Amino acid sequence: MTDPASQQNTPLRRLGLISSGLFLLLGIVFLLALIWGSSGPKPLQVLSTLLGKDSSVAGTIIWQIRFPRALLAALVGAALGLGGLVFQALLRNPLAEPYILGISGGAAVGAILGMILGLSLCPGVAGLAFAGSMATLGLVLFISSGRKTLQETGLLLAGVMINAFCSSIIMFLISIVQTDRLHNVLYWLMGDLSGATTIQALALLGLLLPCFLLVFALARPMNLLLMGRDTARSLGVRVTETTLALLTTTSLMVSATVALSGLVGFVGLVIPHILRLLLGPDHRVLVPGCLLTGAAFLTGCDLLARTLPTQGEMPVGVVTALIGAPAFIILLYRSKA
Amino acid sequence: MTRKKAVARTLLLACCVLLLASPWGHAAKQLTDQTGRQVRVPDSPQRVVSLAPSLTECVFALEREDRLAGVSANSDHPPAASELPKVGTYVSPDLERIVSLEPDLCLATRDGNPVSLVRRLEELGVPVFALDSRDLEGVFDSLRLLGRILEAEQKAGELVRDLKQRIERVQQWVARAEHRPRVFYQIGTSPIVSAGSDTFIHELIRRAGGTNLAAGPKQYPRYSREEVLVLNPEIIIVSSMTGNRELTHKVRGMWSEFPGIEAVRSKRIHAVNADCLNRASPRLVRGLEILAHLLHPGLFQQAPPPECP
Repeated sequence: MTDPASQQNTPLRRLGLISSGLFLLLGIVFLLALIWGSSGPKPLQVLSTLLGKDSSVAGTIIWQIRFPRALLAALVGAALGLGGLVFQALLRNPLAEPYILGISGGAAVGAILGMILGLSLCPGVAGLAFAGSMATLGLVLFISSGRKTLQETGLLLAGVMINAFCSSIIMFLISIVQTDRLHNVLYWLMGDLSGATTIQALALLGLLLPCFLLVFALARPMNLLLMGRDTARSLGVRVTETTLALLTTTSLMVSATVALSGLVGFVGLVIPHILRLLLGPDHRVLVPGCLLTGAAFLTGCDLLARTLPTQGEMPVGVVTALIGAPAFIILLYRSKA
Repeated sequence: MTRKKAVARTLLLACCVLLLASPWGHAAKQLTDQTGRQVRVPDSPQRVVSLAPSLTECVFALEREDRLAGVSANSDHPPAASELPKVGTYVSPDLERIVSLEPDLCLATRDGNPVSLVRRLEELGVPVFALDSRDLEGVFDSLRLLGRILEAEQKAGELVRDLKQRIERVQQWVARAEHRPRVFYQIGTSPIVSAGSDTFIHELIRRAGGTNLAAGPKQYPRYSREEVLVLNPEIIIVSSMTGNRELTHKVRGMWSEFPGIEAVRSKRIHAVNADCLNRASPRLVRGLEILAHLLHPGLFQQAPPPECP
């Protein structure tokens, strides 16, 4: 006979345990990202700058170059991990990812236009990318809204089609772009965090925090939605409102990250799957789990992208797929047994 | 007593602050760079980071390599440049490595170096002087400007005079030619890319006594085989990396099916090291000499075509 009080407590304790564990992981990765960089490790300097004794150049490198970059990586990773989780739940499709509703395509068209016009990264390119993703999202919602209140297949198909249309526009733009700007465009398409500034990272943080909280508050309805719309409705979930709220929130945060960092692939697809395999299907645990793991994963990948190459830098998107895909395949194979 | 002391101390402090804030404290001068930006350049820069291979070459040509603290990754000429610390490629420079070298001046090019990086460097207190050479005359301006910045004005003057003499000599030679051959400059094989009017190559072909078939407003236009066939070049110049015989072979093979092209019939398909044709450095003049030899072999019988160093 178990005591009902302790039974009620278990999910909460599990949530606390898992969250604090993952938070610790994120903390360690973040610290490593401050210590390590392309100009070599600076463990002592990090310690002394953390204690407030700023030794000029090392301090500049740690606080004005590595810190904004690590923060941006963590935020982008968190938003993508969470975005993937929400889309996979809402569309009830394991292949859904944060860019599924055409956000990537619209943003890419906007960003590439900005680069061809020779605008600066922020606000020019980032602003156009954001506008592009919002436009495609609006279009997708408009197309699928005529059908029975945001059906999964309608959304999916509209998103896939718009992405396909956008990618042909991207190819066209790439084929006419000047050779000297092509490099910027390709880097952006692969996801690139090298332009991070503290102001950008903090602005993104301000935008993302409320989104994170809202998604976390909707974790229980998401669990019920997984059982099907009708069941969820009969259990008291306001299906249309919840779906719409989740869709717009996630799309907003994903397009903000895309605008600042380009198309970082794979985080949004793989992180939710890995965590679902490890932690089970409860979204109350998965929401903070995906958020923290996504953040730690992308910060770690960016650390590798910064330090591995001896000449210049690698786009972070290359690293995420190189590590993410094999890790996921191993987990998938082992979970079969 | 104490009040007097305090006043004196405050005054002394104020003087110190004033002295530090004054222009004499830093010994720097305000210069306008070639993109029109106002840059505070130190009077005697000692730790210079060059963000493009062409700028590295210019600094070496001015014999101020001792001032270089770091160079962009592809700075491979002269060979001594490869031994300097690298700060990333010129299209994606590594901000952290640049800052870690504690430069007192960064040299950038308008083409290629990302504007966002220039802004970040300035935010971090590193002055960035941007150069923008569009033609040979522009390269000479850049050399003189760099000479002024790096305290090598005399050397810059001699260098420019020498380069101008070499150009003059080439042009005197080719002035005797009766015919300006049609030249197609080919950068890749798929797609085939050439160079339009707003490039060094166009100017070099023109000065070497040839006609650039790709002349036009587009900087790097693309061509189909069909279009090249119609243009019927007398000479095809293939841009290559150093000693790349394979590419020449490949391009010769690619065109060999089309004996309708004059260059194919007369076997005038030549590879030239691209570094001498597109880097805004004194080596462009060597590129000009090479092209003149290839375009007018009859006029230069006495000397073999020079190599790109």
